[in-house]
Amino acid sequence: MGPSGSGKSTLLHCLAGILVPDSGEILFDGARVDAMAETERSSLRRDRFGFVFQFGQLVPELTAVENVALPLLLSGVRRTRALSKAGAWFERLGLDGLEQRRSGELSGGQAQRVALARGLVAEPQVLFADEPTGALDSLTGEQVMDLLVSAAREQGTTVILVTHEPRIAAYADREVMVRDGRVNAPDRIAS
Amino acid sequence: MSVPLTLLGLLEREPSHGYDLKRDYDAFFGRGKPLPFGQVYSTLSRLARDGKVVISDVAPGSGPDRKRYIITDVGATEVEQWLTQPVEPEPHLQTVLFAKVVLALMLDRPAGEYLDTQRSAHLRRMRELTEVKRAGSLVDALLADHGLYHLEADLRWIEMTGARLDALRKEVRP
Amino acid sequence: MIRFGLRLAVAGGREALTRLIVIAAAVAIGSGLLLTTLAGVNAVNAQLTRYASMYPQASAGNADPLWWSTRFDYFHGKQIIRIDVAATGPDAPTPIGIPRTPGAGEYYASPALRDLLAAHPADQLGDRYPGRDLGTVGPAALTSPDTLLVIAGGAPDQVAKLPAAKQVASVGDTPALPETTVNLILGVIAGGLLFPVLIFIGTATRLSAARREQRFAAMRLAGATPRQISTVAAVEATAAAVAGTAVGFGLFYAFRDPLADIPFTGMPFFPSDMSLGLLDVLLVALGVPAGAAVAAQVSLHRVRISPLGVTRRVTPRAPRPYRLIPALLGVAVLVFAIGFKPETSDGQAAVFLPGLLLIMAGLVLAGPWLTMVGARVLARYANRPATLIAARRLADNPKAGFRAISGIMLALFVTSVAVGVITTIIANRGPAPVGSTEAGQVSLYLPEDAPAAPDTLFTGLRSISGVRSATAVRENPDRMNASEPGLIACTEIPRAYGRCAEGAAVAEVATGLIPFRESASSARVWPAASVPLGDLQQLPVMSIVVDTDGSAAAIERSRTVLEAAFPTFWVGPNVPGDFESDFADTLRGWEQLANVVIIASLALGGCSLAVSVIGGLTERRRPFSLLRLSGAPVRVLRRVVALESAVPMLAVAAVAIGMGLLAAHLFLRAQMHYTLVAPEPRFYVIVVVGLATCLGVIASTMPLLERITGPETARSE
Repeated sequence: MGPSGSGKSTLLHCLAGILVPDSGEILFDGARVDAMAETERSSLRRDRFGFVFQFGQLVPELTAVENVALPLLLSGVRRTRALSKAGAWFERLGLDGLEQRRSGELSGGQAQRVALARGLVAEPQVLFADEPTGALDSLTGEQVMDLLVSAAREQGTTVILVTHEPRIAAYADREVMVRDGRVNAPDRIAS
Repeated sequence: MSVPLTLLGLLEREPSHGYDLKRDYDAFFGRGKPLPFGQVYSTLSRLARDGKVVISDVAPGSGPDRKRYIITDVGATEVEQWLTQPVEPEPHLQTVLFAKVVLALMLDRPAGEYLDTQRSAHLRRMRELTEVKRAGSLVDALLADHGLYHLEADLRWIEMTGARLDALRKEVRP
Repeated sequence: MIRFGLRLAVAGGREALTRLIVIAAAVAIGSGLLLTTLAGVNAVNAQLTRYASMYPQASAGNADPLWWSTRFDYFHGKQIIRIDVAATGPDAPTPIGIPRTPGAGEYYASPALRDLLAAHPADQLGDRYPGRDLGTVGPAALTSPDTLLVIAGGAPDQVAKLPAAKQVASVGDTPALPETTVNLILGVIAGGLLFPVLIFIGTATRLSAARREQRFAAMRLAGATPRQISTVAAVEATAAAVAGTAVGFGLFYAFRDPLADIPFTGMPFFPSDMSLGLLDVLLVALGVPAGAAVAAQVSLHRVRISPLGVTRRVTPRAPRPYRLIPALLGVAVLVFAIGFKPETSDGQAAVFLPGLLLIMAGLVLAGPWLTMVGARVLARYANRPATLIAARRLADNPKAGFRAISGIMLALFVTSVAVGVITTIIANRGPAPVGSTEAGQVSLYLPEDAPAAPDTLFTGLRSISGVRSATAVRENPDRMNASEPGLIACTEIPRAYGRCAEGAAVAEVATGLIPFRESASSARVWPAASVPLGDLQQLPVMSIVVDTDGSAAAIERSRTVLEAAFPTFWVGPNVPGDFESDFADTLRGWEQLANVVIIASLALGGCSLAVSVIGGLTERRRPFSLLRLSGAPVRVLRRVVALESAVPMLAVAAVAIGMGLLAAHLFLRAQMHYTLVAPEPRFYVIVVVGLATCLGVIASTMPLLERITGPETARSE
């Protein structure tokens, strides 16, 4: 966590292989992410990482369930299978009946839960979440966080989350402080 | 709010008369509640008794102001310990936190690090409360929320202060 | 508010100024094309009218009449129009374009013909017009600077005997075709040409609409009323359009002369014919800015601008199937016309042109519905995410998806009709291939009252170098039972044209020794005739066939000799294909025009598409850039863009060409009993070049796609 402009999103983007750091190494599963070619990093992001952003990641033309199925479709899963897998997430996240809605017809919390389902549907090893509750009120934000933590635990997905809100950071097992582009709080492992 | 430790901290800047200590205390930490002279002197004599301060040259004349107090190694160690250790993360801490930050700045100590340590302590507590909330009943959750929101407020204050340490340093160390 | 809007548009910072300039430039190109089209239509109309005035109607009046006869002659395969005139009195009208009516033995020639006269020996061309050269025929009588026209004077009693001689009491411009027919034809052409231009101007004024709308939202937040916003929007769009239109006029006049030189209709225009009527000027000068203002209003209507930002209005209502009705009705009209063919050519035009216009309007109307149906089917079975996204977007708002390509659709429809009709006609009535016997044959069909052909004529013809034979074909008296109208002694048949049936002395032959719609053949066997050889000399000569080596000099010398011998010829002695090739040249001119329209409309359509692609990308930059962050390769997004723009464009192009060729076929079946001949490969090449241009313009948005969906977008928001 850290204040706005501190560089936490940049750090997240570096970790996720979106950006290449000017110096330093990023290791994932023993491989140097920063040394990979863009296409390699893209497929890494597509196949082994999931993403949740603050807002606006749902493609407006697609229904909610299609949006969730998008990562599967992108990795070449057949449409029917992708949609049925995506549909399973709706009950799990308390979104029953919203499958056919467009993103414009969803509330912020609903849209964010759909986004969460999209981030997790491909069973990624790591889920990168950049201010996933930033556009939500505290209660909705906490609901989303609850779902995120439980779903990730159930699935064995590591979550790397960027936030400036301490209450959201408190869901984490471990936090890293970023200020002025530096990681400057000692790691503490709580459990 | 710990008056003895604050006075000790003020003494660590330089040996001072009781009157100077009261004036500085009132200026930075009193905020409408001036420290009575009586309390200043009783506290100082208790500190002297415990060997945390010594009285240097007593000037001629009468009255308490003739005495100049100097902090001892024992006293300095206690100030050091107090500053480096985080306060127990409980609500309504800002006065203590504030005193610690100001003193740290006056003493040219790493105030930012103190704040970081404090933030970690707060976050750890928040994490515990969040676990309680997630696992427990609604009543537990609501109580935990109460704590969480107050801790969050403290954390915000810590952030703000952390961001303004340089300005504050100029203010307390003319 | 208007002044405020103007200040915002002109002095609203670099971004506003850039937008203003870009829109103005686009409008300039669009209105320049619009003016060219209008002027081109005027020029074609002027050409048609002057052409018609070469064939005046017989008329009577108070003045002394003028004898008038218009005939065709040929030189080097080009058509020469020969008008013989004779004034019957001092009050007789003077033909347009010359200072006075030439007397017997005098003539005026057009500049292009004068050049030919000067460049070729008199025995090839000049001797056809014996007498005094009075000067030049002015442009007022010419359809084109290239027109070959001679106005020859004669004695009234001579001219009166010429074919189609008539007395006219007044000369001048008479409309070539009934005005409604001209209007309908021009309506079809202008529809194909103007629609893409108008669509382009419309889209140009909506360039970077998204940014502008955001700014309007900020103005609403600052307290502007929706009314004021719409005023500002209209003022901005109008300011750009006024500037653009002004530049467009400049462009038109700057490029008018080189444009007039292009033989769009088979012959170049006079630059002064490419003129604009007051109505045209007003239409463009006022219409384009007004249209821009209206377009700005309409585009504002599609979004709701509140102080807190811009929201697209909810999914527009889906188009209904009733939109298919006019197109189907149009096809039905053409099909009906096959069974019921009106007698007069006006009546035919009255059936076909409305039918074509119905199909054109119907295609534009049906487009959104077809787009929606196609997109829905695609969305249902799409497995790839790009297909799914693109299909959904098109299905959501088929009108927006179709708007940019409707111009392409119309242009391709009109041009396919034209090209289909033209190629079929050319294929059925084309000129003879160079080097064949026909290409060296000059034949003259003698008028009924022609003087007898003296033997000296034939010896004279045969003495021309390059002439192989000169043969007279005589009239077959047995018209009822004969298989061919001409007769010839078997010994006289030149070897290249075949031989007599076994044992015959006289054969029945075709007028030009070549049967209708067939080629000359030395293997042809002509049937025996019942007329005995002795009687043959008594029969009148029907036609004279001169066989040459095909050299231009031999052909033109023979032609000149024949014309001098038979001054009352109806149509000049011609090489098979002279008439056809002239006709085909004109048609090829139209084909060329069609090609220009195809490429221009596709390029313009590409620009319109690029604008809407950019709009669609700006709207979705965030979800798209986040998709890219999540590892979706940029080619998925490229595919989305391609599927949203290129695929409908290609589909529409296929439908339009198909419909166009179908309409052409129906037209040909009904009018000429021809079956549609597939267009030449050249047509497909042109279409492919046009489509490639269009795709190229769309592809030019790809770098923008990569930039605006790059990680920086997601990071900076």
